[in-house]
Amino acid sequence: MAAFEYRQAAEVRDAFARHGVRYLFLGKSGAILLGFPDTTQDADLFVQRSQDNGRALVIALRELGFDLTEEQAAEVEHGKDFVQLKNGPFDLDLVFAPDGIERFEEAWERRLEVEGFPVCHLDDIIASKAATNRVKDRESLPRLRAFREYWMAKQRKRQ
Amino acid sequence: MRSGKSPPREWLAEFEAAAQRPLEMRLRYAFIRTHKPVLDDAPYRSFDTTADYRRWCEENLPDWLGYGCV
Repeated sequence: MAAFEYRQAAEVRDAFARHGVRYLFLGKSGAILLGFPDTTQDADLFVQRSQDNGRALVIALRELGFDLTEEQAAEVEHGKDFVQLKNGPFDLDLVFAPDGIERFEEAWERRLEVEGFPVCHLDDIIASKAATNRVKDRESLPRLRAFREYWMAKQRKRQ
Repeated sequence: MRSGKSPPREWLAEFEAAAQRPLEMRLRYAFIRTHKPVLDDAPYRSFDTTADYRRWCEENLPDWLGYGCV
């Protein structure tokens, strides 16, 4: 399986937009979209949990080439907290209840857009990583917090 | 970053350099593909709760992958 690239990210963006899926890039993949220079292996999507959104998500995933059984589709549609997909053209983690973020709607209000990609605000990405408290997240947090300061200063200069 | 301390100069240089690159190039540099034992060995996994997922990572993944809690 190839690494996730711009083309695949654009396919996700376009398929999800066609079907009206509400989601946000989260985690390091989200930070990278915002300009954070680092490496990652996975794309994490924070998906709004609702029946309509779940149904649209399953249609979009199948259109992208994810091979979901009926049982798996039902789990995705109902929004299990965490779903790991490695049965498609690239790997995707679907996160319906990330650590450190209370509600999707709040994260949606704070979202940022980069070339049409909806991305969690850096504060939410950092909050989520801090709450997770994993070794790998602890290691990346100081650099991510430094990037947040750099990025905020740049935004202020633009205003 | 420790509170009150400036980030290392090389980090700022990296942030500036990344800001000059188009998104397509940033993604090409950022996403790498290596096989992660156990984690990559099933085409599909789901967890009722995020806590269940964290517990599964703790109990099943090699420590060096970094998915364990601090």
